[in-house]
Amino acid sequence: MSVNTDLALWLLLKGTDKDLGADTVASVVITGICVVFIGLIILILCVNLYGAIFGAINRRKAEKAKAEAEAAAKQTEQFSPKPPPQPEPVVEDGIEEEVVAVIAAAIAAMGASSGKRLALRSIRTAKGSRSAWASAGIAENTRPF
Amino acid sequence: MGIINSFLETMADLAAESGFAGFIQDGGWKNIIMILISFLFMYLAIAKGFEPLLLLPISFGMLLTNLPFAEMYHPEYWEYIEGVAERGGGTNDHYIDYGRILQHGGLLDILYMGVKLQIYPPLIFLGIGAMTDFGPLIANPKSFLLGAAAQGGIFFTFIGAAVLGMTAAECGSIAIIGGADGPTAIYVSSKLLSKTDSIGVGTIALAAYTYMALVPIIQPPIMRFLTTKKERSVVMGQLRQVSKIEKLIFPILVTVIISLMVPSAAPLVGMLMFGNLLKESGCCDRIAKTAQNELMNIITIFLGTSVGATTRADKILTLSFGKVILLGVIAFSIGTACGVLLGKLMYLVSGKTINPLIGSAGVSAVPMAARVSQKVGQEEVPTNYLLMHAMGPNVAGVIGSAVAAGVLLSIVQV
Repeated sequence: MSVNTDLALWLLLKGTDKDLGADTVASVVITGICVVFIGLIILILCVNLYGAIFGAINRRKAEKAKAEAEAAAKQTEQFSPKPPPQPEPVVEDGIEEEVVAVIAAAIAAMGASSGKRLALRSIRTAKGSRSAWASAGIAENTRPF
Repeated sequence: MGIINSFLETMADLAAESGFAGFIQDGGWKNIIMILISFLFMYLAIAKGFEPLLLLPISFGMLLTNLPFAEMYHPEYWEYIEGVAERGGGTNDHYIDYGRILQHGGLLDILYMGVKLQIYPPLIFLGIGAMTDFGPLIANPKSFLLGAAAQGGIFFTFIGAAVLGMTAAECGSIAIIGGADGPTAIYVSSKLLSKTDSIGVGTIALAAYTYMALVPIIQPPIMRFLTTKKERSVVMGQLRQVSKIEKLIFPILVTVIISLMVPSAAPLVGMLMFGNLLKESGCCDRIAKTAQNELMNIITIFLGTSVGATTRADKILTLSFGKVILLGVIAFSIGTACGVLLGKLMYLVSGKTINPLIGSAGVSAVPMAARVSQKVGQEEVPTNYLLMHAMGPNVAGVIGSAVAAGVLLSIVQV
């Protein structure tokens, strides 16, 4: 079975044997430490190896994506006129700047993930809507379903 | 008159059969001491927070087993029967009559079968695997070396136990305490120890869990003693991001390599890595959560109470128990020192970019040992975050101690 089988047979260690000899103890210690180190060093090599392989694959993918993005950007620059300046969104009184910033960021993130260009036109308080806390509570309670 | 006599006789019989009478009988005082010790461990678990999830079940098992006439655990049933003919030929010198245990055993005898048949520790490892993130280790595979070095405590303690005149099985069981891993210690000792040995599995488990709880007290002085202020002040950079595919391959790879190298480590490493694969796959959330929570909790209850049951007075109130306590703390200290010393070597080789404090986390008490590295590091540089760097050696230590357990089991054969 393991690398230690022969050694174990040679040592003939039994659970009830008294007086372990110095040689026996030294063998156990040296074998033990060596096997643990060898095992874990093999793991280091393997992890490094596949880390390098996947690192290279990811790098190649990233480079390819970057090159494609650059090419696409060049094309759009060449063929499409500059977009007209966007009008400022109309913000209702009483809505704080931070809230506007958060909404704008959320819309930008949504646009980036779906690949669409979204614009923020106006922000106003919805009538008869739940408070943010109430909505969060409902979302939390219904999430498992 | 007759009624009164029979009443008195019945009362006398009841008194003679009660547990109180058991305390007065030959050696009954030892049970009283053991019950008091169980109270001490309950106090440590509840009031001091010493690994309460394990020490409390263990100490309660200890209380139950030492109540006279409760008959919940029978050490004599677990004695090896020698010279039993095997079906395939040859004789078995380590035969346990499980039929007798099933027919006549108490509750704790039945639960202890899971320990003796090596079922609980691998299942606990399944839960640990489902909770562990091997990302820091994959990002910095050199951490494996620190996890291996800290196992030095196991093998050097083997020498110490042999010098004190213990048997091979006892040496292996005490030495594994240095792995700072409770389930591994129980796994090895339950396989090696028999009733003829002067210590029991419960003794080993008690020492292992007590010292694991004491990691924040035992380790820092050794870490400070072995490192300079300059070494402790090394600020380590951020770890690289690990991709999902790397995290998925890791458990499969470790299982295959370690199980082929040290087959006797396969149950522990295999289940640890299976748990991790469940977590990382992302498609088995229900099973992964069960392994992390419900299964782990159920097994902890079974393991704790049944291991506690093996701490009968005749096993604890011996000189050997003192040796276990002494050698256990030596094993922990040497393990910590080996990790820190290899950390120092890596500090020099790496051009002073590795903080040697993360070496002490190679003993596998997860995540306590990594937290200790973080704390000692922050004493020098308050903005230094070593925690994730220390988690690498810490989880490598779990794999390392499982390998060391496999090695011990294959060398010290019973």
